[in-house]
Amino acid sequence: MTEQTSVETGPQDQSVVITRVFDAPRPLVFDAWTSPEHVARWWGPEGFDTPPDTVTIDLRVGGRYQLTMVRKDTGGQFPLRYEIVELVPPELIVLKGERMPEMGVHQPTFTRVELADDGGRTRMTLTDGPYTVSEHAERGWNGAFDKLESVVGSAVE
Amino acid sequence: MPTDHLSDTFAALADPTRRAILGRLAEGDATVGELAAPFSVSQPAISRHLKVLERAGLIARTRTAQARPSSLRVEPLREATEWIDTRRATWERRVDRLDQHLQDIQKGTRP
Repeated sequence: MTEQTSVETGPQDQSVVITRVFDAPRPLVFDAWTSPEHVARWWGPEGFDTPPDTVTIDLRVGGRYQLTMVRKDTGGQFPLRYEIVELVPPELIVLKGERMPEMGVHQPTFTRVELADDGGRTRMTLTDGPYTVSEHAERGWNGAFDKLESVVGSAVE
Repeated sequence: MPTDHLSDTFAALADPTRRAILGRLAEGDATVGELAAPFSVSQPAISRHLKVLERAGLIARTRTAQARPSSLRVEPLREATEWIDTRRATWERRVDRLDQHLQDIQKGTRP
């Protein structure tokens, strides 16, 4: 059962930050992120299957973390490939995503999953990003959106 | 799904001078000379920035008039914002499914 959910955009860059408390012990949540049988069941997204035999998780720093999402209607395949860049069982895993130029993502993005004990439950903080494409990443997004808020006002709502 | 021109949008927005130009254009159309006035850069430099903004679809420039005044276009900005929202929605739903999966396996309904 969900205890708490908050979703926000990170202040330092354009990252997605999601905090969630799961009614499950931390080792189980860590397993859910790091064993292919588990990942295949929840990765999704809607309208897609993630066949367990497409999920490869080489659980070590430098190891591969990859899977293929298959569209249920057309069979179209969408592989996702990450590299594990940080790993502290059962509290931290950081995945480095491939660049996706066709999606406008020219820099690698990182998916950081932090798990903390919370009285038998597990508090997960997931950070995904940054979504920026320039060498000015550190100042670009924040400044851009500060400006844009005043520039375009309601047009971006 | 977002297309590749998002990268043009993001790259164009990454530069402070170009963001300032957009800020100026939000107040009304302006010529190169008018845009260059507040900056310590040359008109040719401003013209180069305008080319980047135009390629990203963030501004439109009048082809006929000698002064070619520029005007702001907001559609690419909206799309750039929606891209982040799309990523956020994807992860929210994924976390929902993880939550459900954790409940299922603890009930013994899943191996």
